[in-house]
Amino acid sequence: MEAQKLCQEKKYEQAIYIIDKVVVHAETKDDPAAWHIRSYAYIQTYKQINLPTQAKTYMLDTAMVSVQKSIKLDTKKEYYENNMAFIKSASSSYYKLATILLKDSLNDVKADTNYFKYKKYYGIYSPEFDFKEKDIGYYTAKGSLFAELYIKNNFNQRYGDVAKAALLKVLELDPKNISANMNLGVLYYNQGATLMRMMDYDIDLSQLDVIQENAKKLFKQSLPFMIKVYELNPNESKALEGLEGIYNALLDEAKANEFKQKKEENQKQK
Amino acid sequence: MRKIVQYSLLIVLAFSSLSFQQQSNYDTNAKVKAVFLYNFTKYFKWPEKMRTGNFVIQVVGSNSSLNVELNKMASTKQVGAQKIEIKNSSSFATDPPQILFILGSESDILKDAINKLKGKGSLIVTEKPGLAKAGAVINFVVEENKQRFEYSQNNAKKAGLITGEGLNGLAIVVD
Repeated sequence: MEAQKLCQEKKYEQAIYIIDKVVVHAETKDDPAAWHIRSYAYIQTYKQINLPTQAKTYMLDTAMVSVQKSIKLDTKKEYYENNMAFIKSASSSYYKLATILLKDSLNDVKADTNYFKYKKYYGIYSPEFDFKEKDIGYYTAKGSLFAELYIKNNFNQRYGDVAKAALLKVLELDPKNISANMNLGVLYYNQGATLMRMMDYDIDLSQLDVIQENAKKLFKQSLPFMIKVYELNPNESKALEGLEGIYNALLDEAKANEFKQKKEENQKQK
Repeated sequence: MRKIVQYSLLIVLAFSSLSFQQQSNYDTNAKVKAVFLYNFTKYFKWPEKMRTGNFVIQVVGSNSSLNVELNKMASTKQVGAQKIEIKNSSSFATDPPQILFILGSESDILKDAINKLKGKGSLIVTEKPGLAKAGAVINFVVEENKQRFEYSQNNAKKAGLITGEGLNGLAIVVD
């Protein structure tokens, strides 16, 4: 086949030009080999050509549509192993794309889409695979990244909401996750502190009461997460410092002093 | 470290763990008190002789966060045409300030301050339970995790301040 030969010569773009016609041709549209070659050509193009992320995603998506079509038509399982290898390779590429989209482009929606594709295709390759640890890793990275962005971008509400949703997802999977509990505690606390920090000195007293009420709700929301970190690791200095700060913000002097003392004792022991 | 671009999610995780910083050094209570103190200037009328020169807020006791907030406030706000001046001291000076804020740790000086400032038009503010009944005009109290204040109209009159009714609806009135 011409397209196969072009692939062997690493002329993938020319191969794609031909194979795209082959798979719609009446005589070859049900040939698993054609779909298999198409998948290979698109995967190789994805790997070798420097394209914008969106175009790269298209290459990968087309490769996966083709490979699934090949598997469906391949009743004799002649291409099964190679098709599965393609799926494994592509799922790993989706994983990388998710990370790039998350970290470099800050595009959480597209990152999620690619992460779901990674899970979908890796699930086809390895149906028994347990994604729990991967999910925890992905959502922790997403939550931590957006929590930092929230601070660095003047407490941008959307970043804060994305961070919260991701970190809550981590806790759904792993309620004892220290990092997620810590970051959620800090996130809610910071939101409350920001409300206070941003208010003008001449705001009227009735408005001050509303702001205090809203901030109080956020400080109270932060408390169970920080307490959880403390329960999981009573020597975690950031939890002791965090609890001192939260109780101070809640004007609970006794509790704030209790954690201040614990923090100081902890520092002496270190 | 964070500038290193690595596309392995494991590496993303390695530097993201516990990296998010709490603004725990920000004293929210100091900000609230500064806002209250500035607002009080809208509800009282000081005697004529106190309406010239700087508007002095004297803080007795040590609270560095409050000091920072008050100085920030003083750099951006005025009371009428008067510039706000923040004075911080460990003991009470006899020159009557427009506002004397006695911090909780220095509450023992209240009686002396009331005697020395009687009728001179100084708004005495405290922050310890029971001090509005002991002679302070305003006393900060904590109620349901929020900062509120007790207000004594009688003590305000004794201090030589003219007050409207506006503050009554916002305060815990003690007399």
